[in-house]
Amino acid sequence: MSIITEKEKIIAHKCVEYALRHGASAVRVSLNKSTNDGCTILNGELDKVTHAADRSVFIYIYADSRYGTFSTNRLSDAELEEFISGAIRMVKMLGEDACRSLPEPDRTAKDAVTGLELGLYDGRYLDADVQERLDRAHAISIIEENAVDTAEGYTVLSEECEYNESFDDMYLIDSQGFEGRHTETSFSCFSEITIADKEGNRFSGYWWDMSPEYDRLDFQECGRNALQKAVSQIGPKKRRSGRYRMVVDRNVASRLVSPLINALNATSIQQKMSFLEGTKDRKVFSEGMTLKDMARTPGKTGSRLFDSEGVSTTDAPVIENGVVKKYFVNTYMANKMGISPTVEDISRPCLMPYMKGNPLMSGEKSISLEDILRYCGSGILVTGFNGGNSNPVTGDFSFGIEGFAFSRGKITHPVREMLITGNLTGLWNNLTAVGTDARSSSRWQIPTMAFEEVSFSGE
Amino acid sequence: MNSTQYYFNTFGVTGPQLEELTATALRHGGDYADLYFEYTTYFNLLLKDGVVSSGGFHTDFGVGIRVLKGEKTGYAYSENTDMPDMIKAAKAASAIALGTTGSLNYAKVGNHANNFYPTADSWRAKDAEDLLPFLTSLEKAIVSKDTRIIKVIARLSDSVSDVMMYNSLGELVCDTRPMGSVTATAIFQHNGKTENKTVSRSFRHGSEMIGQSLIDEIAQDIVEGIDARFEATRPKGGQMNVVMGAGASGILLHEAMGHAFEADFNRKGQSIFSEKMGMQVCPKGVSVVDDGTLMWNRGSGNHDDEGVAGEKTYMVKDGILNSYLHDRISAASYGVRPTGNGRRENFRYNPIPRMRATYMENGDSDPGSIIASIRNGIYVDEFSNGQVKIGEGDFTFYVKSGYMIENGRLTAPVKDINIIGNGPQALSDILAVGNDLKIDNGTWTCGKEQSVPVSCGMPTVLISSLTVGGE
Repeated sequence: MSIITEKEKIIAHKCVEYALRHGASAVRVSLNKSTNDGCTILNGELDKVTHAADRSVFIYIYADSRYGTFSTNRLSDAELEEFISGAIRMVKMLGEDACRSLPEPDRTAKDAVTGLELGLYDGRYLDADVQERLDRAHAISIIEENAVDTAEGYTVLSEECEYNESFDDMYLIDSQGFEGRHTETSFSCFSEITIADKEGNRFSGYWWDMSPEYDRLDFQECGRNALQKAVSQIGPKKRRSGRYRMVVDRNVASRLVSPLINALNATSIQQKMSFLEGTKDRKVFSEGMTLKDMARTPGKTGSRLFDSEGVSTTDAPVIENGVVKKYFVNTYMANKMGISPTVEDISRPCLMPYMKGNPLMSGEKSISLEDILRYCGSGILVTGFNGGNSNPVTGDFSFGIEGFAFSRGKITHPVREMLITGNLTGLWNNLTAVGTDARSSSRWQIPTMAFEEVSFSGE
Repeated sequence: MNSTQYYFNTFGVTGPQLEELTATALRHGGDYADLYFEYTTYFNLLLKDGVVSSGGFHTDFGVGIRVLKGEKTGYAYSENTDMPDMIKAAKAASAIALGTTGSLNYAKVGNHANNFYPTADSWRAKDAEDLLPFLTSLEKAIVSKDTRIIKVIARLSDSVSDVMMYNSLGELVCDTRPMGSVTATAIFQHNGKTENKTVSRSFRHGSEMIGQSLIDEIAQDIVEGIDARFEATRPKGGQMNVVMGAGASGILLHEAMGHAFEADFNRKGQSIFSEKMGMQVCPKGVSVVDDGTLMWNRGSGNHDDEGVAGEKTYMVKDGILNSYLHDRISAASYGVRPTGNGRRENFRYNPIPRMRATYMENGDSDPGSIIASIRNGIYVDEFSNGQVKIGEGDFTFYVKSGYMIENGRLTAPVKDINIIGNGPQALSDILAVGNDLKIDNGTWTCGKEQSVPVSCGMPTVLISSLTVGGE
């Protein structure tokens, strides 16, 4: 199934034809089409219904060793040809850069023909009508059973539930004959609940679930988890500033991985904006850190057969036992830096299990949050990041956090208004444990993690 | 200013068609319907490694159709303005009224004409050849300022949006909104250490904004304070006095109170300020505004995206919570006039309450004496991003640079630290407000569900206790 029609595929080919006719030496065209339907329920009642349908082309033009990127959603024949001739006029005004080129044809994917190869499409998207979607949104709501819960000492102030379905279809071609297709449905539910304790202090919690397949969504768990997250925060305390063991919950753990991925991108490295410049094939992180790109796993959100240049993805280690194994190098950066190209960016990062000093635990056995709390004994469990940033050049970071203090492997009380500060290289050298509990709904497969000697600022 | 006919021609529609569309949108009994037509052209040039070797332009065109029934919203859009497609979108949006109860009185707002961004030279009349020399001159000016600079990345981007808004009350509003933005990053290397600094400027100006004075200003800003950046360290973390320098410190207002004052969060009971209208939330003498009327400001709008005239809204007046930031829904719900804060990223999104230019008005303290009054604390003046948790009011902002304060003097430079606090607490902990209000004209973008351009500002302000990240 697809939503891009044969007639629309011809539009993409016409873009290539017009570009070559008006003076391009090479061109890549991405035709993107998507639909999205959503319903929002506020305090048990319908609040919003939305319907979206988008269709646009992105045109990447190479002419006279120059390069430009253009897009439009005005797709009539006459408008497109005029748009593209204007685009080529502009490209020819830009500075020369001989490193710009399409990828070598032998690097592009040959196996993304129908868009359905990865099994990311569920036909139930097209079957549903407005009433069914509304019923699904109502299924997330738990407000009736928990509207006021004096026994537990809190009152629900607000419950907002959202159900969304989307269908994305992409057709990528270039003037060297590459053709690639990626088709994906996505079903998601979201709940955010705000409560007040007896003193009127407010706490909020949210939860979400997402899947390419409708049947894998858990609606009821969404509302219950949001409420549980809000309630668990009642009675927060600040802790004294100091160095503590830190466990990072699987729901937010990717926040500490994404700056590494950015730093491994050749564009950052070439522009001297990466603290991981010059680290390829060097051991930089804890030996327990192994991060793989599992780009081609069927049925999993984030999987794709080709990157934005059409280059075939591979399943490969990015960091292995602490050694940097891969930079993300697109064709332009490969030409510019004189290194071998890889792929433009990571598709589906997966952090492998580990327990420092316990190699048996790093194998097939499952490692849960509870296992990691027991292993660490005491410290702070981080369940949310509140702002913060990291310096791409030095790797220095500072993030706001919320979560729970734990002792003897058990949670004792919530903490908030605290910060963690340090350096990413140092932090990842202090990695002591990685679980096996990454959420299947996430593109980034980053499980619960533990670090030692993390600097917390509080009271 | 373009004529009304210009907008009808741009979108290829007629008056009777607009009426037919709103009637279709209300066919199931909605209280109110509006149409938001938008045609936006974007243009960008990027300089890297001494050459402007990439750039492009982009076109976006469509119409968003909204139906309101009580506080409930139905929304759909079409990427073309052919009647059959617009009727289809109107029908999809109309479904919100099916089987829903409750209604609100959506009244005319009595608009007046504004002109907060008169434009001399339209960006649309310029091509790459006209604009390219600006970036190369900017790079030269930056490089000439400091021998430690090893790389410069500079970007010029502009956009022009034609919008036409029509609603079921018969109100028709048209506007053309320009925006020009320049961002430059310099990478410095010295004695084996690398530092970077980014400076940006953004205005609702035409291409007349780019010239030598802007080049000089950005080049000077980018090297200013870089010596301190090389020496900067992390402070010891914990709670301390924080002096917020004039200008970009307005991010404090944006995160600590601005979002929590957006009326949708209050209407839904989610905000920590939900029940505090008319109550004292800041010390007496403190006034905080959200302003859509600053000339050429990035956050200004002749009208918001619901056709309501831009205005200056006092959120806090003399310490008292005076007004939330309203779109038409929350205004009807609270029975007040909308404040012109109904904004959206583009026609694909329904409008929601959003900030514009948020700043604190001047106090009466001398900035120097504020610093001199602190025995131990921190002074912060450059920021990159912030965030808030609406329910709890906990906010953070990331400090790119600042100084320790010891015995009333700025001492050791600090960098790359996050600061965290609680909105209501921080507001009540304001101890002094300077008389040096400055609006920051960087490329601030707020990302509440949708991205919209905003700006912020503040005089020098002392807050008695915030938690500062440190080692």
